[in-house]
Amino acid sequence: MRKVLQLIRRFWNLILFITLEIISLTLIAKRNSLQGVDIINSSNAIVGYLYEKQNNVVYYFRLKQMNDSLLQENTRIRNELAQWTGVDTFSDSLVRIPPRTNDSGQVIKTGSSDSSRKPLGKPSVVQYATYHYIPARVINNSIANDRMNYITLNRGTKAGIRPNMVVVSNNGIVGRVAHVSENFSTVVSLLSEGRSYSAELADGTTGFMLWEKGSPDYIQLTKIPLEQKVKTGDSVFTATYSIFPANIVVGTVAGIDTVKANNTKTLKVRLTTNFRKLQYVYVVYNEYATEQQGLEAKNEKSE
Amino acid sequence: MSIYLRNFLRFLMLVLIQGLLLNSLSQRWWPSPGTLPPFIPFIYPLFILLLPLATPVWFMLMAGFVLGLSMDAFMDTGGMHAAACVLMAFARMSVLAALLPRKLRDYGNVTPSVKMMGWTPFLTYAAILLLVHHLVYFIMEIWNIHSIVYLITKTLLTLVTSIIFVVIYALLFSHSISKSD
Repeated sequence: MRKVLQLIRRFWNLILFITLEIISLTLIAKRNSLQGVDIINSSNAIVGYLYEKQNNVVYYFRLKQMNDSLLQENTRIRNELAQWTGVDTFSDSLVRIPPRTNDSGQVIKTGSSDSSRKPLGKPSVVQYATYHYIPARVINNSIANDRMNYITLNRGTKAGIRPNMVVVSNNGIVGRVAHVSENFSTVVSLLSEGRSYSAELADGTTGFMLWEKGSPDYIQLTKIPLEQKVKTGDSVFTATYSIFPANIVVGTVAGIDTVKANNTKTLKVRLTTNFRKLQYVYVVYNEYATEQQGLEAKNEKSE
Repeated sequence: MSIYLRNFLRFLMLVLIQGLLLNSLSQRWWPSPGTLPPFIPFIYPLFILLLPLATPVWFMLMAGFVLGLSMDAFMDTGGMHAAACVLMAFARMSVLAALLPRKLRDYGNVTPSVKMMGWTPFLTYAAILLLVHHLVYFIMEIWNIHSIVYLITKTLLTLVTSIIFVVIYALLFSHSISKSD
């Protein structure tokens, strides 16, 4: 027994070293799954607080830049709006918009329960919004990592952010929420290996987006059929069935490669989102996400 | 100022410099350097480099682990910095023993610094340990045998900039450190 103790004392440093390395490696292994329960991330209170304080300082110097980007976004949204007003949308159904309690002048106070069942409000053609956007400020952003890049946002569960929600910027897509605390959340950015999203070209040809390490400005769009005609400068959008809202611009084609092995093209896409200067993002809340996921999970079970 | 307080303050300062200043270097002030990969210099391992000579190894390992974990929290890297720092702390004694002319016990509890060692030995000491740290970190970070050229490029780029920042730090703080010793 004494010999064992002596041995432990002699190799105490080595044992400690190996133990600490094993702990670190376990932490690394846990981190690689998106739903992994790791404690060490920047959405925790202390680091989040420090990042927010730092951002409050840096923020001031970038106001001009942000003004410009917001102005651009306003222009784009106004143009889109101009397209939609005046279009006869036959595909949407005629519904009655229920008055909201905070709409002034439209609130009809109903005494009995019978009249409350009657359709209220004016009839109108609407397309139900399935997406809601939660604005958030980027308080930390990394682009220099090779496998996973994370973004820290200054909004968390209090603002309604949940894990797995997607994140878009004012002119492109950004990533997906990984960890959420009360006031902060971390996002796995588009610049991460092993996260593929579907995207499509203007004519509806779909492919998979994958990031390859080395540059924060480009992403690869794989599995485009060989016969598809593509020019550099063509736009790439999020696909209709991707987890992102459909038809958000991802980027423009910057280079075309032919993969002989499986007769497909791989496009090098220049991202419209500037990950170097990311300041404001929108976390997208999809109303039907849980319902859809529940249904799809059932499918997988029955298979 | 006591040696414990000084090291504790240095720990805080280096973590804050790294976390809040250097980490955002690649996107804010670094223009896209051609086809080179984006990278950030690491200055926080300097804490382990500057621990006093008489620090027991177990304490150094624990300090390296805590330092790495706090960096991991800042950079969302899981435990990569912790693993690299622990290895670096483990290798420190042998590197110092190889570089210093006398036995380590003879020096007493001094901080390895430019004043004490001279420029060339100190920078060699820093370069070897930073290389260990960077190599381990990037191997774990990239984890792909096919991109070995990329790995070497990135390690060397980071190493060179890290050493530049270490020299700046040494120039800024060596005076006050040697004065209080």
